Amino acid sequence: MVDLIKKSAKSLQESLFSSVGSSVLTIATTYLVINFFRGMLGFALTSDKDWLAVLNNMQLYMVQAYPEEDFIRVWLSVGLTFVLAGLSIGIWRSEARVKSSQVFNSFFKGGLGVLFFTIIAPTNASFMGNDGSVITEEVLSMDSRLGILIPVVIFCAIFFSIRFTNVSFTVNSSDMVFFYLFIPVALLWFVKLPTIQLNQNNERIIPDPVMPIASSTKIPWTVIFVSFLVSYFIGMYLKNIKSIKSIMSLSWFLLPLLIFSWIFKKPQIDMSVVLGSDLPIFGVFLLWGFLVITFVNNALFKKYYSTYLGVTFLLTLAGVFSGLPMLAKTCLLLITLFSVVVPAVSTSSQGKRSLLIVWAVALVTLTFLLRGGASDTGIVVPGSSIFGGFSLTWLLAIFGTYVSFPLGVLLALGRNSKLPIIRIVCTGIIELTRSVPYITWLFFASVTLAVFLPAGVEFNLIVRVLMVTAFFSGAYFAENIRGGLQSIPKGQYEAADAIGMSPFQKISLIIMPQALRAVIPTLVSSAITAFKDSSLVTIIGLFDFLTIGKTVIGNQSIPVNFVGHDRENLIFVAIVYWIFTFTLSRRSMKVEKKLGLGER
Amino acid sequence: MSIIQTKDVKKWFGDFQALKGITMDVAEGEVLVVCGPSGSGKSTFIRCINRLEQHQEGQIIVDGIELTNDLKNIEAIRSEVGMVFQSFNLFPHLTVMQNITLAQIWVRKKNRAESEEKAMELLERVGIPEQAQKFPGQLSGGQQQRVAIARALAMEPKIMLFDEPTSALDPEMIKEVLDVMKELAKSGMTMIVVTHEMGFAKEVADRVMLFDDGMLVEENTPDEFFNNPKSDRTKLFLSQIL
Ligand SMILES: Nc1ncnc2c1ncn2[C@@H]1O[C@H](COP(=O)(O)OP(=O)(O)O)[C@@H](O)[C@H]1O
Ligand SMILES: [Mg+2]
Repeated sequence: MVDLIKKSAKSLQESLFSSVGSSVLTIATTYLVINFFRGMLGFALTSDKDWLAVLNNMQLYMVQAYPEEDFIRVWLSVGLTFVLAGLSIGIWRSEARVKSSQVFNSFFKGGLGVLFFTIIAPTNASFMGNDGSVITEEVLSMDSRLGILIPVVIFCAIFFSIRFTNVSFTVNSSDMVFFYLFIPVALLWFVKLPTIQLNQNNERIIPDPVMPIASSTKIPWTVIFVSFLVSYFIGMYLKNIKSIKSIMSLSWFLLPLLIFSWIFKKPQIDMSVVLGSDLPIFGVFLLWGFLVITFVNNALFKKYYSTYLGVTFLLTLAGVFSGLPMLAKTCLLLITLFSVVVPAVSTSSQGKRSLLIVWAVALVTLTFLLRGGASDTGIVVPGSSIFGGFSLTWLLAIFGTYVSFPLGVLLALGRNSKLPIIRIVCTGIIELTRSVPYITWLFFASVTLAVFLPAGVEFNLIVRVLMVTAFFSGAYFAENIRGGLQSIPKGQYEAADAIGMSPFQKISLIIMPQALRAVIPTLVSSAITAFKDSSLVTIIGLFDFLTIGKTVIGNQSIPVNFVGHDRENLIFVAIVYWIFTFTLSRRSMKVEKKLGLGER
Repeated sequence: MSIIQTKDVKKWFGDFQALKGITMDVAEGEVLVVCGPSGSGKSTFIRCINRLEQHQEGQIIVDGIELTNDLKNIEAIRSEVGMVFQSFNLFPHLTVMQNITLAQIWVRKKNRAESEEKAMELLERVGIPEQAQKFPGQLSGGQQQRVAIARALAMEPKIMLFDEPTSALDPEMIKEVLDVMKELAKSGMTMIVVTHEMGFAKEVADRVMLFDDGMLVEENTPDEFFNNPKSDRTKLFLSQIL
């Protein structure tokens, strides 16, 4: 024990006070940091601050004005995500084990953190009253300080002393996820905080009654936690099924589509349209693509290939200006593109099979999006977009990345393509998109885009924003990935050719994995930027997370009075943004480390 | 019967003519050593044989298939011809095992267990079975080149092309790679080896060729080539190198 203290004291001395300069730096920084936290705590604890402005507006923060009778859709989406996550963690369960000492150590450190804040918190804090005078108030009395300190010291002492006993075990690192999630869910049931309640006259009851937090959401969250846990066990059980991993990956790919449509609308399936128009169109184009793929290496087809392309192109032109259904028009455009690309990539039978799958998935997605995005939503929110707050920010971030990342990969490959048409088109898209500010694109989405869409097709504002966002971040992703592609030595292409890989295999197994690895840090910072930039949508009248905190809550006056309480909300918003971006960048560092193994 | 035949092969890079009409053939099981000064077109020539470079005039016929723009022929030939590069060109993001099994699984469509068995067999043959789970970056140059040989052999090629396989290696590692190549030559593999290792040529080559300025200057048995060369160019080359 004494040894340990001596040792840590020595290492402290070496790292912090090794010279006069570093001692001065250490002391100055410590002083600044302590003062910063004292100021923050003083601000947070005075009675001038009404944290209920944050706490009681959680629903607004999460889904804004989404109709309450449709909340079940939101819960189901969240639940489905957790079920999939549970299954995946179970299926990919790592065998890595965490030592108990590590866990105890993190508890100990957490306790130390609380101790630190309790000790430095100011006893008195001042703030500006309504009449401009300075009011000083006691925020943390010595008694209550001791009341916190004593239990925390005991807590720390327990976890510190455990390391000197021979209590030692290991926990599976995947299991730990559930333990850490269990804590907040359990807290929902026990922690009580002041809550805003109104009396018969619709006035706020003062003082606020103390109630369990999240009284309306603790049951859904508990149910979700339990299903998360259950699906984890099911996942472990399913682990050995043969193609379960590809099925899971596919489910993750389809999940956003499903959630998107599910949250956005009550399904209104007009069977006559589906049977009479969608399915036939779908079948025709599936067959067409299939024929192109089958005969691509056929000598006769090759001979008349340019004639075929010309005819298809003319058909497409004629189709676009005719009265065909939107789906048929889009499919025509798609088949032209497809016919241009196929001869370049399809050689082996394996390549052909994957191409056919790509083609089918593209058609399904397209049909789905056109039917889903362009019809009436069925969920009515008077005077507002369907939802806002965190769900909007999250949707823009996730769906934006989800669409724009593959788009970026395609654009990057296209820009490096040997075929001039593809290269020019991709370069054009990238340069056009990047040379105009994001805000301009947002205005384009809200005001101009409708002009470019065929008559009769109307997309919800959120869908339009998603469309321009996908292209905008896609262009940035493309440029990052292109940088990665350029860093791959020519020898890698040659080695792949020399062992007989097809162009498709070469790109997807050799080139892309290396190119992506080389650009993970830039990709992550692009994703973080996209996440934060989503708050710009406030400019076209959407209510993202930040806007809710800053504008909406800051204007709530009756029956509560939150006017002027935007500072608490801004701090809350900043913390939430920070948690997400920080987690993302930490995760990416881990992935980088894992992938970096081969580089040495 | 000759397994590789070339007739008057010519190749230009822009205005620069790198190959000025190469006519030669290689019999099955033959070991051919190609040497010549730097820039004489040796690499260009053997890279034409598996179409990493495209010749503009002349004919190349490998195992009865002529190399044209037909993708099918190119793929067929590439899976019969293994290639080992001067700079190894292993895939750095894959383990040694994955490097060797990749083509078997994706190109030959074998199942994983079978490919891994084959890979272990080959790693034993090149003498590094214990490195299977490492990444290329963790191996020495000599070990990497031996992995590259195993990777090419995994496709069960009929012909192996070597483009200066030992030039990027430290002297003490050259021997381990040459030993593997000698063993391969003795097992009856058809090989074209571009190299300056004259010891290797004397020991295992059936024929030695000298390239100069895009032309095939001399073609001879090793004995004659080293002791009694036909052309003055060869004498000059040998005097510089030996
Ligand atoms: N991709 C290329 N573009 C232009 N010139 C090239 C290219 N590859 C090789 N050359 C030229 O062709 C000639 C023959 O090169 P190479 O076959 O690599 O020679 P060697 O392998 O005998 O040293 C050299 O003069 C070289 O500069
Ligand atoms: Mg060379």
